[in-house]
Amino acid sequence: MELETDILVIGGGSAGSMAAIVAKEQNPDIDVTIIEKAEINRSGSIALGMDALNIVVQPGITTPELYMNSARIATEGILDYKPSYVMAERSYSILKRLEGWGIRFPRDEENKYISLQVHAKGSFLLEMDSPDLKLVLAEKVKEAGVRVINRTIVTKLLVNNEQVIGAMGFNIRTGEFIVCKAKATILANGGCARFSLPNSGYLYGTFDYPGNAGDGYSLAYRAGAQLTGFEFTQCSPLIKDINCPLLYITLTRGAEVVNALGETIDLEYVSTQNMLKELREGKGPIFIKMNHLPEERIQDIERILFTTERPIQKKFWENRGVDFREGLIELGETEYQLCGGHGLTGIVVNEKAETTLKGLYAAGDVACVPLQHLTGAFVFGEVAAEEAVKFVNNNDLGEVDQNLIKDEEQRLLNVMDNNKSGSISVKDFEYKVRRTISDYAIPPKNEIKLKRFLWWLPRFRDDMKDIQVTDHHELSRYEEIQFILDSAELSVHASLAREESRWGWFHHRTDYPEKDDGNWLKHVVLEKGLKSGEVQTLLVDIENGGEH
Amino acid sequence: MPLIVDEDLCTSCGVCVDRCTMDIIRLNDDGFPYKKYDECWYCGVCEEDCPENALIIDLPFQVK
Ligand SMILES: Cc1cc2nc3c(=O)[nH]c(=O)nc-3n(C[C@H](O)[C@H](O)[C@H](O)COP(=O)(O)OP(=O)(O)OC[C@H]3O[C@@H](n4cnc5c(N)ncnc54)[C@H](O)[C@@H]3O)c2cc1C
Ligand code: SF4
Ligand code: SF4
Repeated sequence: MELETDILVIGGGSAGSMAAIVAKEQNPDIDVTIIEKAEINRSGSIALGMDALNIVVQPGITTPELYMNSARIATEGILDYKPSYVMAERSYSILKRLEGWGIRFPRDEENKYISLQVHAKGSFLLEMDSPDLKLVLAEKVKEAGVRVINRTIVTKLLVNNEQVIGAMGFNIRTGEFIVCKAKATILANGGCARFSLPNSGYLYGTFDYPGNAGDGYSLAYRAGAQLTGFEFTQCSPLIKDINCPLLYITLTRGAEVVNALGETIDLEYVSTQNMLKELREGKGPIFIKMNHLPEERIQDIERILFTTERPIQKKFWENRGVDFREGLIELGETEYQLCGGHGLTGIVVNEKAETTLKGLYAAGDVACVPLQHLTGAFVFGEVAAEEAVKFVNNNDLGEVDQNLIKDEEQRLLNVMDNNKSGSISVKDFEYKVRRTISDYAIPPKNEIKLKRFLWWLPRFRDDMKDIQVTDHHELSRYEEIQFILDSAELSVHASLAREESRWGWFHHRTDYPEKDDGNWLKHVVLEKGLKSGEVQTLLVDIENGGEH
Repeated sequence: MPLIVDEDLCTSCGVCVDRCTMDIIRLNDDGFPYKKYDECWYCGVCEEDCPENALIIDLPFQVK
């Protein structure tokens, strides 16, 4: 299939759906296409809704400046001023938009939104009651007249003269090759959930949606865009083995975290790093304790946890025979991931969601607006759409080099042909790649260890010829392994470049154990070397909006 | 780690196949869903969206 569109959105999750809706709002005559790997009604991180909008600045209660103070503390200074400010500034209008669509934000007896303090300087997290959030978004996409191409994985961006002019990919069921030429392209395909191996050993037992395998990072990198924050490999303490979240819902309702010694852990603003420290210091296992809470509170917690986000928890606890009224909930460390929503990792963007490539915008977990969560996905979905619409009005479709298209189609056909009788299953291969990431690319880091991964990297790439690929579903998993390897390569280079320790444990280098603000209050930016084709690292100053 | 399908209730409508977030469900020769690939994120979408309440998912053994 070959098509032309004005705006191509890659990934129909939170950010991508919002971007498509807003592009059509801006100008209904503009042709908008979403290419989505799964199926838009239930794809991405919010498949079964979400129980909070993590950053909302309510007029008269908090301010964007207050949020910026919190965010600076939370990111240890690795934060550009403008994008995060814009997110905070526009967050309330996102809330109002969602309310207009029937999403419920619970209020207390005084008719105030129920907010929770998980940031240092203010109460920005608003509870949300929305098991059907994704269905609502998908419905709005449909009403707006957006073309949606489901079950299609994008494998390469179309680039001409440092301008992105669309993308290519294939249907993961039928194998149909798809070329979509576009005047503007918005990348909204998430972070890298499948980075290190979960402790359960189960490849897909990740905290974040495993359909996001670093696809967007790899696509942007290979097209020549700049990326940043890849040294900040991040994990969370969540329900051990199953890796589902429950911290905010329980802790803000009076639950406590205790260690094996029965000591209550100090949880300033739900500091996940404090919890992880207990584990590392051998004071684990650590548990969430709720048996002191009144019945009413427990029922409230159960109602939220068992209907929204990860309702599977209900079965999990039943199976283990744990009742919140009596039993303890063991927390474990999740796998490490790379993410612009929960972490500091992503494609370099400015406050207009522009990447460093002409015609390419990025929004949501794929973009580096640190700790932006769902709020950032929605705000920058809007922003990317507004900017892309302006761009489309002033730019014609660029010239497409037909050879690029032929080469990509041939590459995919070759894998289907040559890997039919490969000797290693995609799963075994991915297991070893991610086990090796666990071995060498996550904290505690040091130079020798990180370089061990670089020793493995070309071997893995070469061994991919032995992966068995028997259908197009498996071909999509094969492609994802390349995305994981690219993400890991970027991460290891960034970790090597930052010769200090920062963001607590997440970039802890045993050979540079101290934080060094004098030299390292900077971004480590990565890009593909024009001549060498290798990863180049540059140090870039923080854009602090005139503040210090 | 099977999908547990109530064959009396299932109408073979294929909604679970369409909605699966990891693209792992297919219908077998008798028209009933099964997990073709062992890649479930236990998101619960198939169970939630089945119009007949005919399907229950079991957690993968490793995380259960
Ligand atoms: C379990 C969980 C709980 C959370 N709770 C909260 C919360 O309470 N509050 C909050 O504010 N935030 C929360 N977050 C974070 C928030 O959900 C994310 O930051 C946000 O949804 C990211 O949106 P996104 O559009 O970037 O990614 P997603 O919504 O994941 O969308 C990415 C889309 O891209 C598609 N895709 C991936 N690769 C390709 C490709 N190669 N080609 C085509 N399509 C592709 C995927 O299928 C997916 O649909 C939570 C996240 C998780 C996982
Ligand atoms: S959605 Fe339910 S009724 Fe339809 S095929 Fe699946 S199990 Fe059967
Ligand atoms: S629980 Fe989710 S990933 Fe697993 S089979 Fe059902 S829809 Fe697919």
